[in-house]
Amino acid sequence: MRSLSEPSTTLLSGTSKGVQAPAVLVLEDGTAFRGRSVGAPGEVCGEACFNTSIEGYLEVLTDPSYAGQVITMTYPQIGNYGVSLDDVQRAQVFARGLVARDVCPTPSSWRSEMPLPQFLREHGIVAIEGVDTRALVRHLREKGAMGCILSTEDLDVESLRAKVQAAPALQGQNLVEGVSGAPMTPQLGAPASHSFAKPPTPKASHHVVAYDCGIKESILGSLAAAGCRVTCVPWDASAEDVLALDPDGVFLSNGPGDPEAVAATSAAAAELLGRVPVFGICLGHQMLGLAADGSAMKLSYGHRGGNHPVMNLITGQVEVTSQNHGFAIRFDSLGPLIPELSGGMAEHEDDLRVWAERGIAPVVQNERFGRIRLSHVSLNDGTLEGLEFLDAPAFCVQYHPESSPGPSDSRYLFAAFSDLMDGGADVLSVDIASDRLSGWKLGGEADHAQA
Amino acid sequence: MPKREDINKVLVIGSGPIVIGQACEFDYSGAQACKVLRECGVDVVLVNSNPATIMTDPELAARTYVEPVTAEFVAKVIEAERPDALLPTLGGQTGLNCAVELAKDGTLERFGVEMIGCSLDAIERGEDRKLFNQCMEELGIETSRAGYAYSVEDALQIASEIGYPLVIRPSFTLGGAGGGIARTEEDLIRIVSQGIALSPVGEVLVEESIEGWKEFEMEAMRDSAGNSIIVCSIENLDPMGVHTGDSITVAPAQTLTDVEYQRMRAASLAVLEKIGVATGGSNVQFAVNPKDGRMVIIEMNPRVSRSSALASKATGFPIAKIASQLALGYTLPEIENDITKATPACFEPSIDYCVVKVPRFTFEKFKGTDDTLSTRMKAVGEVMAIGRTFEEALGKSLRSLEDGHAGFGGDAASDALAQIPDEELEEAVGRPSPERIFQVAEALRRGWDADRLYELTGIDPFFLGRMADIIAVERALASMRFDEQDAESLRICKRLGLSDAQIAHLTGTDESTVRTCRKVCRVSPAVKTVDTCAAEFESFTAYHYKTYDADETEQTRGERPRVMILGAGPNRIGQGIEFDYCCVHASYALHEEGYETIMVNCNPETVSTDYDTSDKLYFEPLTFEDVMDIVDVEDPAGVIVTLGGQTPLKLAQRLADAGVPIMGTPPESIDLAEDRDRFAAILDEMSIAYPPSGMASTLEEAHRVAERIGYPLLVRPSYVLGGRGMGIVYDRAQLERYMAEAAKVSPDHPVYLDRFLEGAVEVDLDAVCDGDEVYVGAILEHIEMAGIHSGDSACCTPPFSLSASVQEDLRSIARKLALRLGVVGLINIQFALKDGIIYIIEANPRASRTVPFASKATGVPLAKVAARVMAGEKLRDMGLPPDDRPLSHFSVKEAVMPFGRFPGADTVLGPEMKSTGEVMGIARNFPCAFAKTQLAIDYELPQSGTVFVSVCDHDKRAIAPIARDLARMGFKLVATAGTAHTLQASGIDCQIVKRIHEESPNVFDLISSGEVVLLINTPFGNTSRDDGYLLRTEAVKRGITQVTNLAGAQAMVAGMEAARKDGLDIFALQDL
Repeated sequence: MRSLSEPSTTLLSGTSKGVQAPAVLVLEDGTAFRGRSVGAPGEVCGEACFNTSIEGYLEVLTDPSYAGQVITMTYPQIGNYGVSLDDVQRAQVFARGLVARDVCPTPSSWRSEMPLPQFLREHGIVAIEGVDTRALVRHLREKGAMGCILSTEDLDVESLRAKVQAAPALQGQNLVEGVSGAPMTPQLGAPASHSFAKPPTPKASHHVVAYDCGIKESILGSLAAAGCRVTCVPWDASAEDVLALDPDGVFLSNGPGDPEAVAATSAAAAELLGRVPVFGICLGHQMLGLAADGSAMKLSYGHRGGNHPVMNLITGQVEVTSQNHGFAIRFDSLGPLIPELSGGMAEHEDDLRVWAERGIAPVVQNERFGRIRLSHVSLNDGTLEGLEFLDAPAFCVQYHPESSPGPSDSRYLFAAFSDLMDGGADVLSVDIASDRLSGWKLGGEADHAQA
Repeated sequence: MPKREDINKVLVIGSGPIVIGQACEFDYSGAQACKVLRECGVDVVLVNSNPATIMTDPELAARTYVEPVTAEFVAKVIEAERPDALLPTLGGQTGLNCAVELAKDGTLERFGVEMIGCSLDAIERGEDRKLFNQCMEELGIETSRAGYAYSVEDALQIASEIGYPLVIRPSFTLGGAGGGIARTEEDLIRIVSQGIALSPVGEVLVEESIEGWKEFEMEAMRDSAGNSIIVCSIENLDPMGVHTGDSITVAPAQTLTDVEYQRMRAASLAVLEKIGVATGGSNVQFAVNPKDGRMVIIEMNPRVSRSSALASKATGFPIAKIASQLALGYTLPEIENDITKATPACFEPSIDYCVVKVPRFTFEKFKGTDDTLSTRMKAVGEVMAIGRTFEEALGKSLRSLEDGHAGFGGDAASDALAQIPDEELEEAVGRPSPERIFQVAEALRRGWDADRLYELTGIDPFFLGRMADIIAVERALASMRFDEQDAESLRICKRLGLSDAQIAHLTGTDESTVRTCRKVCRVSPAVKTVDTCAAEFESFTAYHYKTYDADETEQTRGERPRVMILGAGPNRIGQGIEFDYCCVHASYALHEEGYETIMVNCNPETVSTDYDTSDKLYFEPLTFEDVMDIVDVEDPAGVIVTLGGQTPLKLAQRLADAGVPIMGTPPESIDLAEDRDRFAAILDEMSIAYPPSGMASTLEEAHRVAERIGYPLLVRPSYVLGGRGMGIVYDRAQLERYMAEAAKVSPDHPVYLDRFLEGAVEVDLDAVCDGDEVYVGAILEHIEMAGIHSGDSACCTPPFSLSASVQEDLRSIARKLALRLGVVGLINIQFALKDGIIYIIEANPRASRTVPFASKATGVPLAKVAARVMAGEKLRDMGLPPDDRPLSHFSVKEAVMPFGRFPGADTVLGPEMKSTGEVMGIARNFPCAFAKTQLAIDYELPQSGTVFVSVCDHDKRAIAPIARDLARMGFKLVATAGTAHTLQASGIDCQIVKRIHEESPNVFDLISSGEVVLLINTPFGNTSRDDGYLLRTEAVKRGITQVTNLAGAQAMVAGMEAARKDGLDIFALQDL
């Protein structure tokens, strides 16, 4: 592929983008998208996936759960408000590459520190813009998630196709190893530039040990906001080591990739269940499911976005949730239904939305951990979104209550974890309609006066 | 929760006539509601005085009352129909106010009617600033610092505490009427006194100015289970200080980080809970300080709104429809998303395109008024455009306006700005006005940087940066020749939203060359879909837009033959909802005939741009380029150009020349009727009389024509709708002045001069012709005499003063003429009757403004009949009732004027149309029907008090009987010396009042005191800046009923008397 033609160069030379180098994205099936490089030069392979959040591109890029993936943002113009480093979910970018229709070189926000293209270059992230991302998303939706290669060096589609086909598949890979840090000292509460929107962190009342399988800053912040002092341990820490830290509760974090490949964490989870209150998010939820001998399935193209409706079957209320997962736990793999706790039903249903329609939160009899209730269901496709253990102090959700990016409807789960550690029962029965503002600070004036 | 079983009959209140701040978006919402309520098995009882609405089509409701939206009339409807519930949130502020009144006066309780969707308490918490502020304080959400004033003294006290500038908002007024920004004490006194007068409770809010802050809107919904979602976020390009209806707005919000957006989202949902919105949609507005993110709530509306209509169109999420279902008891997760058919409505749409809305103004119609935009809405319409980027959508939206712009810069209008000196440009850019966006483009062309422009405009640097890039490419393009371009460079231009016309202008070639080359290079747009979910799920509705992100096109073709209907574009004075009504009817009719219907339009307020209306919807500009691009992908069997007013009609010849099959009346026939010489030849041939006329391209020619046919003359530019630029001239000097101004209106077209038939009775006739036969839908007799634009004139059908033989003559002429012209479809003919002679003023072989009214009045859906005729059906096969049958009732249509919005503009009616909408009154006789129209507009008829009369010499003789009637009815008469003399000479008791320039107390003081309830003032000739002008504009400010011509006065007085004597009964369309 050549560089820009002479008239195109003339047209673009006076714009804020100027004349950019070419870049190509090639999918495993040979489908190619040409565009312009808007990040670092280079060539990366990964799983092609898309995220439908309209804002929050920086949070997405720095979420460790995206390790191994090349992310397409479906909203066509990103980078509009630049980069505020306080919004990152980890200091590092874990996504392998970024695909966009248009990345803004002239951002505007009072918190912005640099334009997104500069951030991408500084972090060595290969990125392409000018792509008809809608066509790409429709392709992935129809054909399912697949490998891809993004390059600014090799512009030959056939050559790239050969490379992507030779690259190892995501399924079965343990990507958590690569993102789980050494025990980190989590920041207390929200970062400084969020103080206009978030209240000061309360005094800690619980000690929580968090398995870091790629934990997000906003989870640490949310735990702190719920009164937790957090100690992080690596993904493969043993249950005994964790218990030796004398936690009031254990948290299992989100993380990238195939849950079946993270056996050490699920094994530790199995040992911890029943001995200490446990809360899991995303991969952490899958760990608890696997610990209960459940099985995981790969979703065709995953749930990634900030608008996914999930019903809390206990309250009947819908949470608009932030999601980022390519695998899901099968509810029927956890054990047979207990009819007397499942509205008299004895048969599992493939599409769990049936339970939402019936207004029932069904319960299975699990061989290892006793009764487990289906607490949350995706209303988009009827997959499992949350579990509540009735015979062990534990619950977990597949989606991201810390959002970042995404709506704050599910923040109540962090308070519920506190309740659980305080020995509370039925902690998921919360009316979110009356609790919309929890975790937010709205008046800014007092703060300015103090400053 | 399933549907409530105890609700079987629901009363829906519409928003009444189209006025500024409340336009056809409420027909879109209301029609959606009526449809879905019916699908849910509920009987709908509807009240709306606006006949040009789809919602008042008799099929849409079980019982349709085209009656005034007043508590008095709605109470009558409630008494007759006994509905179980009232849904108050669909009829805008008018409907909501009416519902509140019915709740407060005990009517609802008396008849056991439950208010659903939103309770009285919730409405009051949302609308009453004090209660609202208190709720926000309890939530901890900031409002701007403010205080209430009930007098100018109160306001001055508040000002001393907060400081200037201050924003003034009167309580409970429509679209912020009477509000404004005060920078000085003088401003404050002026705006506050005006605002207190306009507020029904005599109260204004005086608050801290947050001018220059960023402005956002959130469209939220809630169900009875407490589930809440945000449907759409909207960011205003114009910062705080400009009414959101007058701002360019962008969806989704562009410049909020996730933290800021989610906080605003949570706050919006909390506001709905706190205010107590039980179910339905609400609009919540915020201002954000661009320097530190401080967020202040501006207001919330617990009902569907203009913004919710926009949000529905921008996302594909039908807010009004779902709000109606929620009101019946359904919850969000129980309702399916229409578009995906697989996911629930309980989610937040994710969009993968950018939407830009631009308001449409018509300041040129209101000489003497200031075009600075402020917190008081002045736009009469709007356009919306969809592109993959802001740049693409901006370009498309600006060329959708149809105000001479080909896009953002790069056209003749932009070149003209190059002449403005820098200082003048700087001032212009700093003042929000309809032209500012183009002035910003000029500033960018001059190389002014974003910082400087941000300082001047407050427009966010994100938008300025994107606009700067468009201009950079335009400047580079202008430095090249067209033949230097290649496919890649053309694609760059198209992706930035440049039109073919702009590219042609900048490279010095013509549009068709650009188009041809573009097609040769395969630079063609792709079709994408609005699907609520950013392609995450499959979609099942064909709601499309074009873009130059063209890797994949999503358009599919079905089996059926396709017909494309070109809509009317933005609402403006002269071309409004009536044309959209016709397009929608054609779509329904042709769908039934087995066609796949394809609607093309760019007006987000309309029913035509509901994705439910047609088989396919293209939300696209109505330019030649955009229409041809759609023709290229759809390959339609026919394109309908005669229903959307001038917008598609202007394209007819070019489309036909490009080989596009035009359905119905051929362009040749259109030209035959529009070309004065050819038309005159036909009339001569058929021995039909017409006023002597001529045509002139220069002043000399005009003088020659004037000498030949004599004064007074009606003069107008060719090819216009709504009488734009039309005037009556009585002498040579006036003609010279007119010609000097007319050249600006339409430079490529000459001016027409007709003998003006002073005192003639005007008649409109709407008919359908199938080539063999003609069906006359209605004959409409105007109430005002000739010389007042037909759109501004009240009219009555059947005619109240024309003999059966005259009516038969009119029908006969219409039949002959329609056949001779070769019309296939609708034709509107305007006649003038004078001294026993029938003159033809003009014939328009297209849908007219009166088609919806005529259809409602007669029960024959003319637009549908016309569409079937265009599809080849014959009138004789349709089983229509005889067109000369007697009707049991009289229907009057009256125009609604926007003068209250344009302080300083004269209220005298003339040949240039000024009304924004219309109302209909139905009764057993003409005076009662007329009285209803007055009630529907002003919400009350003068009952007693003082009437001020002042007429010109010409009208003196005829005023006596009218004045006598008023005196007999117990009104006190006051007149200026001349008129008083005439009245006293006729034996009518009347008091003389001093003229305006005489010492106090004079007539001006009398009007200002509020003592006068009716003003009858006919102007002297056409000088507008006389005493009468001052009185009329003062009366507008005071909300005093006024009539500016004798025929209108006569009808008004007869109506007042009839209403008083007989009372006014209500009629359901289904019973007529």
